[in-house]
Amino acid sequence: MSRILADIMGFGRQYLRSKVGAFFTFGFPILLIVLFGLIFSPSGTQKVSLPVQNLDGSSFSVAYLNELNNTTLVNIRMIPADANITNYINDNSLSLALQIPVNFGSKIVDGLGSNYSGPVLVTIYGDKSQSTFGTAVAAVQAASVSFNYKLSQTLPLVAPGVQGLKEGYQFLDYFLPGVVGITVMTNALFSMSAICAEYRQRGFFKLLATTKLRKYEWLISKFVFFSIILILSLLTTFAVASAVFDTHSTITLLSLVMIPAGAFLFVSLGMLLGVAIKDPESGNAVANAISFPMMFLSGTFFPLDAMPDFLQVVARAMPLTYFNNGLRDTMVYGNTGGSLINLLVVVVIGVIFFLLASRLMSWKER
Amino acid sequence: MSEGLIQVEGLSKHYPPDVKAVDDISFTIQPRQIFSMLGPNGAGKTTTVEILEGLRTPTSGTATIFGVDVTKDYSTLRDRVGILPQSFEPFDNLKPTEAVQYWAGLYDIKMTKSQANFLLERVDLTERKSVLSRNLSGGEKRKLGIALSLINEPELLFLDEPTTGLDPKARRDLWRLIEEIRKKGTTVFLTTHYLEEAEKLADDVAIMHKGKIVARGSPHDLIARYGKMTVIVLSGAGSEALREIRRRGIEATEENGDVLVPVKDPTEMRAIFQKISGIELQAKDIYTRRQTLEDVFLNLVGAKMDEGDLKP
Ligand SMILES: Nc1ncnc2c1ncn2[C@@H]1O[C@H](COP(=O)(O)OP(=O)(O)OP(=O)(O)O)[C@@H](O)[C@H]1O
Ligand SMILES: [Mg+2]
Repeated sequence: MSRILADIMGFGRQYLRSKVGAFFTFGFPILLIVLFGLIFSPSGTQKVSLPVQNLDGSSFSVAYLNELNNTTLVNIRMIPADANITNYINDNSLSLALQIPVNFGSKIVDGLGSNYSGPVLVTIYGDKSQSTFGTAVAAVQAASVSFNYKLSQTLPLVAPGVQGLKEGYQFLDYFLPGVVGITVMTNALFSMSAICAEYRQRGFFKLLATTKLRKYEWLISKFVFFSIILILSLLTTFAVASAVFDTHSTITLLSLVMIPAGAFLFVSLGMLLGVAIKDPESGNAVANAISFPMMFLSGTFFPLDAMPDFLQVVARAMPLTYFNNGLRDTMVYGNTGGSLINLLVVVVIGVIFFLLASRLMSWKER
Repeated sequence: MSEGLIQVEGLSKHYPPDVKAVDDISFTIQPRQIFSMLGPNGAGKTTTVEILEGLRTPTSGTATIFGVDVTKDYSTLRDRVGILPQSFEPFDNLKPTEAVQYWAGLYDIKMTKSQANFLLERVDLTERKSVLSRNLSGGEKRKLGIALSLINEPELLFLDEPTTGLDPKARRDLWRLIEEIRKKGTTVFLTTHYLEEAEKLADDVAIMHKGKIVARGSPHDLIARYGKMTVIVLSGAGSEALREIRRRGIEATEENGDVLVPVKDPTEMRAIFQKISGIELQAKDIYTRRQTLEDVFLNLVGAKMDEGDLKP
């Protein structure tokens, strides 16, 4: 135990002093989050596309849509009048729609007469988590005020009603766990394969073999060290992401358990590569060859469902997929059950890699 | 044969297809000495040392240290043996004090900063104790390596080519350090391909060549046994002097105008000088040429020891 501690201290100090190591643990994920966040954030000045279903055939509804157009906040697109709006929204993955009811014209006629019975509601279907939602509501409100004033000056003839849609997630919510995932993967994988190659080349393994430190103790020390700094990395990346952007993900207890599990998996995989790799340069090349496809095929940047079938099969074979999904399940969707299953997969693969690595790795020469 | 501190019997290490890195060697090492394994590149020194350190498995033969079979129970020796591997380089990003404390921890030794600094003082690194190791000079790195190898206060210390690639000053510094370590009672197993180094430091030398030990003994013994004895050189004396000398029954040869008189037995030296001094000689200079391990090696192997090989 004290040997493991001694190794964590000794190794950790070296790792953090090598600027590359510190950058990949802390600088890299923050850089990714900020860059991608900026690239994919909707910019405030853009017009929002607003699909409208007009169930009313009167000229009043046409006039109302004119007012809406005049706000210059929205681009109006028409939804066929015979469509069922909720089905249409689902089928077309809309996060926004406006419905003008059947009795729009007749209610206004009634109101302008003496039969006023309150405003007629136009319904905004929207996902409140999206920035486009606020713009649409503002546009409909402005159009209604202006429409009412022109027709009656006093009576609120039309008013917006809001129908919330199931909240979707922004790209960043999806992306944040992915960034954490690739940070854990690259740090553990690259560091371990490079360390193994360097230690072999410079004779450090032989040197270690002559101390009392056991191989498994050394492996555990690396796992503990990377777990600690990667949890710190998760916390800082999360802090920066939530300070700069509007995110909906949360750090859960389970996500803090996922990190060591992922560190364990990728530290072990890195060591397994280190068994075969003889020099640091080829270590880097092999780690790249493994991590790059994994980065793109494991749902880091976009959901697996969006990929062709055969790639989805490939993705299922990637350990990072389970790590990413597990993090996302708990951090974004609050799906504890799903997260636990993914955690289990990560741990099982990790144990296999660990056992293989500690059996195959030799500090000695044959 | 008395029980040695290290006992090696019929040890071999073969690498496929047909490299006999170590080829059936046997030797015993007595405690509290500097034992030097001397040999050119590829002689099999490191292979032998690493078998003894439990880092390689021999193809055949046995090796024991303190009576412990190194192939089976090396782990029980960890407290008693110190190791400086060939071309040792310390961890780049640790300062010497930190490296010593780190290493001590791996031996279950709690070492305070001042204890670590004391050890560094012993290897003369006090002034550089707070410099990142990657900024140390080659000689300083080796000194740090020796400090690490001394952490467990070993009874036996392996130094595999500790001075290779160092400049003469750094080399002499290390020699002094190694002698001090021996004075404290530590047995030192030193490999080198510098004849001078073995001659200066070792009490006991084994000359290794192509996996075999070709000669064994103290530097003095080896020179006496394998060196072509001391030679009296009569510089520029010429062939007339040669005839005169031979006429008095003294064996001599001529080489580039010099007359060379070999002295087979050092006790004869006086008598020979007396005989020569009676001759009227026109020599520019008279001196004796002593033989070194270099000559021993040349005579044994028929080739010059491969010097140089300055590994970065
Ligand atoms: N792992 C190995 N596989 C194949 N051959 C090896 C291996 N290790 C050593 N050899 C060969 O064994 C021979 C002895 O090597 P060794 O390293 O013991 O020599 P050395 O005396 O230490 O030389 P140097 O002075 O260069 O360090 C060499 O011919 C070397 O090429
Ligand atoms: Mg060697």
